[in-house]
Amino acid sequence: MKNKTFRKVEPYIWIMPSIILMAIFILVPIIFVFRMSLSDVSKAGIIRDFAGFANFTKVIKSSAFKLVLKNTIVWTVAVVVLSTVLGFILALILNNEFRGRKIARAIMVFPWATTLVIQASAWKFIIDTDYGTLNTLLLRLGIIEQSINWTPTAEAYFMWEIACGIFVTIPFVTFCVLSGLQSIDGTYYEAATVDGASYWQQLFQITMPLVRSSLTVSTVLNIIYVFNSFPIIWTITKGDPANHTDTLVTYLYKLAFYNGKQGQAAAVSVIGFTILLICASVYMVYTLRKGDE
Amino acid sequence: MAKKSTSPKKIILRILLYVVVIVVCMITLYPYFAMFCTALKSRAEIFSIDGTILPITSLWSNFIDIWQRAPMANYMLNSLIIAGGSTIIAMLCGIPAAYALARMKFKGQTVFLGFVIVSQMFAPVVLLIGIYKVMSLLSLTDSIVGLIFINAAFNQAFTIWLLRGTFMGISPEMEQAATIDGCNRIQGMIKVLLPVAAPGIVTTLIFIFINAWNEYTVALCLISTAEKQPLTVGINVFNGYNMIEWQYLFAASLFAIVPVVILFMFIEKNLVSGLASGGVKG
Repeated sequence: MKNKTFRKVEPYIWIMPSIILMAIFILVPIIFVFRMSLSDVSKAGIIRDFAGFANFTKVIKSSAFKLVLKNTIVWTVAVVVLSTVLGFILALILNNEFRGRKIARAIMVFPWATTLVIQASAWKFIIDTDYGTLNTLLLRLGIIEQSINWTPTAEAYFMWEIACGIFVTIPFVTFCVLSGLQSIDGTYYEAATVDGASYWQQLFQITMPLVRSSLTVSTVLNIIYVFNSFPIIWTITKGDPANHTDTLVTYLYKLAFYNGKQGQAAAVSVIGFTILLICASVYMVYTLRKGDE
Repeated sequence: MAKKSTSPKKIILRILLYVVVIVVCMITLYPYFAMFCTALKSRAEIFSIDGTILPITSLWSNFIDIWQRAPMANYMLNSLIIAGGSTIIAMLCGIPAAYALARMKFKGQTVFLGFVIVSQMFAPVVLLIGIYKVMSLLSLTDSIVGLIFINAAFNQAFTIWLLRGTFMGISPEMEQAATIDGCNRIQGMIKVLLPVAAPGIVTTLIFIFINAWNEYTVALCLISTAEKQPLTVGINVFNGYNMIEWQYLFAASLFAIVPVVILFMFIEKNLVSGLASGGVKG
């Protein structure tokens, strides 16, 4: 009898360390953030009275918020869409047999393995107008005759940040798709070729449906990562000038740790969750459905 | 396997393939090339009007100078301790959880797995205010130990996801046989399952190590004492508001990049199939 009760309890003992770890360092912070978003918080971070939705109204009414929200959407959509398209094409290319493929694969993994803060500093240096190496390179190659100001406006800076985001995100997509491609049975293509299907027909009718699941995983994870990405923008512009390159995460970091407005920062966090929750539900629905199959 | 064909169209496609691959590789390597060359230049050369691509004279001494100009040894050691510690804790918590998910049936299994997946959605940066609050309560602000736990917690999802897949890909028969021979579950797991699952475990382990080594945001926010900072945060002493010492910044950066890029190349193949399908093959 004793053995039976133990068997019932046993799984919970096995998952207990993991639950404790995540409860203390993820769940409790989530609860704090929600509580702070609804409270009056002092500059030192002490939670005072319940304040209803005052923090949310303040955030939404502030002039910067609209801009920041727009930037966040542009940033996320541009980086995820473009890196997915480019990464997918690159995966199709790498899926061919050619000499030096192993070396090419090894090189393309670099940006994924490198910490974002260093990638961002490197690009900040490359695009610098006065001493950046992009100008030097183009001048030496005779492509341009005078140094170009690559970042004349805040929008231009933001474009470069997006480019940097795409650059570091491509490898993840490429390798996810590649693993999907390599699990496809080659006989499908042979049969299709016999039937006279063109390259494009094969791509859209065999390849696309079969790599759909790897593409979904990489896209959903990328939406979350890119939306929450902090180091690139922080390193290159810190969201300046005047919030023109801020996204929600850099904005909330400044609100919390520079301006001492922790209540409002918490409200920005909650707004961020709410937006991401939609993506997470898609993820959940997808995984659960896959589990049913 | 490869059919030799010499139609002009095929040859053109072949050439096009090589051109694209070479161009992509060059663009990918360009930042690293620029960093390496800059790390070897003098300050004067970097800021000269007549810019150079390759350094005129290679100042290898930059790589030595950084150790005197900043507590590089501390940074390296801290990164190592943070990444190593996070990996150990993430594995100690993650292996039993993944084992339970793969080998046992229990109430709340789906809820637990659901929470693990949803926890992915909360990046540390959005929770920083809450994390800071928890750290103050535990008096772990400005502490490497605190950072280790945060990294371990936020890597639980990946750990459990990858390991669960690995364990499920291994038939439970051998462990069952071991149980008949008188092993209990823990012995069965350690003696039978873990050795078979070793490739998957190593992949997961290295992946967490790299994640924690590369972590920047939480360390930036939590650690204020220079001697306790990891490389990713510490190297920014060369990235001042008024003056950026690019040559030192990039020399130091290379110390942060090289070890993990090499590690990553080892696990890339195994990792990707694991991420995409929910498990690393054992």
